[in-house]
Amino acid sequence: MNFQGCPGSRMMDMRRPAADGAPAAAPGSTPSQLRQWPVQLHLISPMAPYYQGADVVLTADCVAYALGGYHAEHLKGKAIAIACPKLDDGQDVYVEKIRSWFDDAKINTLTVMIMEVPCCRGLSALARRALESAARKVPVKEVVVGLDGTIRQSEWLGA
Amino acid sequence: METTFEQQLERPVKSVLADFPALGALLGEFRIGCVDCGVGSCKFKEIEDIHRLAPEAERDLWTRLARIIEPGRTAQLPVRERAPAAPAASASPPIRQLVAEHRWILRWAAVIPRLAAELDLNREEDRRTVLAGVDFIRHYADRRHHGKEEDILFRYFDSGLDVLQAMLTDHVAGREHVRAIEAGVAARDDAAVREHLLAYAVLIREHIRKEDDILFPWLDRQLLDSQVGQMYAQFLEADRRFDRDPRQLENFVAELEARFDAAPAAAAR
Repeated sequence: MNFQGCPGSRMMDMRRPAADGAPAAAPGSTPSQLRQWPVQLHLISPMAPYYQGADVVLTADCVAYALGGYHAEHLKGKAIAIACPKLDDGQDVYVEKIRSWFDDAKINTLTVMIMEVPCCRGLSALARRALESAARKVPVKEVVVGLDGTIRQSEWLGA
Repeated sequence: METTFEQQLERPVKSVLADFPALGALLGEFRIGCVDCGVGSCKFKEIEDIHRLAPEAERDLWTRLARIIEPGRTAQLPVRERAPAAPAASASPPIRQLVAEHRWILRWAAVIPRLAAELDLNREEDRRTVLAGVDFIRHYADRRHHGKEEDILFRYFDSGLDVLQAMLTDHVAGREHVRAIEAGVAARDDAAVREHLLAYAVLIREHIRKEDDILFPWLDRQLLDSQVGQMYAQFLEADRRFDRDPRQLENFVAELEARFDAAPAAAAR
């Protein structure tokens, strides 16, 4: 019987055989690209120094687990905040914080990274609302990550 | 003369095409218009990188090109190993802005043949219209639009790139046509004004086609997100410093279209 519920909650078994011969990295040897704390959007201050003029990546909670190269390929050199548009409360606060990135922190770009499941689109919608309410226009990009850890779509939403 | 396929890869594409004319039709099959391109400064090996084909099409193209150059020999194909392809991002906001400005310039170029056909510089209205066209080119197409390209976009890349030099040469040629149009109006020389108006229209249409279809997507693929943000801010600042009202300049084109009953949508592409 087909699963009829929410695609974001549908159970999938994606176990793969371990790649033979691939050298295993020594524990702790992969450098983190995180340059700040906190990272949760409710906890951060948009005026924190690491957001000033920065390229910011607003990442849906699940993305960093799906995307093997998240740190090296997407977080490196950027400031971050994470959020879940499906489960988090108080999302009007999110819109205001994103707007403050544009207008007050004068960020350089915003990249919104979301999963391909429909509920994740809400994070892009929050960024769009914030951009519409901001006085200052900044390029905003949406990157959609597949459940298989590939990039499904990369799109400049506008400025 | 270079004889092997591998040696041909290092030569300018126009030279290779001159020696192997059959390559032109094959490139055309892959929508690579090197035969008609007025620049022709790319090396033969660079054509795929600039025009960006899917991996299977890339291998197919090089295999068939090699067969024409060296029939019967298995050549070393310049097919690069690529990381699993991530979908290309859509045009970045600053590039979109340049393309949007192109639409207005193309609309102006599209009405030029009608203006030229009916031109009579003894009529004050025609003199005024041509000089308004000169004003549009000087301030909108050149100072505002080419200014963003020359002073901002191109500076993110190696200024020695032949393709950028070719674009700058087009800009200079356009300015020469504008000076000749202005002089022709002063001398009431219908033939000279007509000649340079039409030549400008041909030049700018071909120039924009090269930028929209080839150069801008290629440059855009190489820009880092941080550079896109910086460039967008620089474009906004350039627009802020621009001392004319762009809408007024665009209105000139719209009014001219209305006068000649020209369709803007068709003109812009």
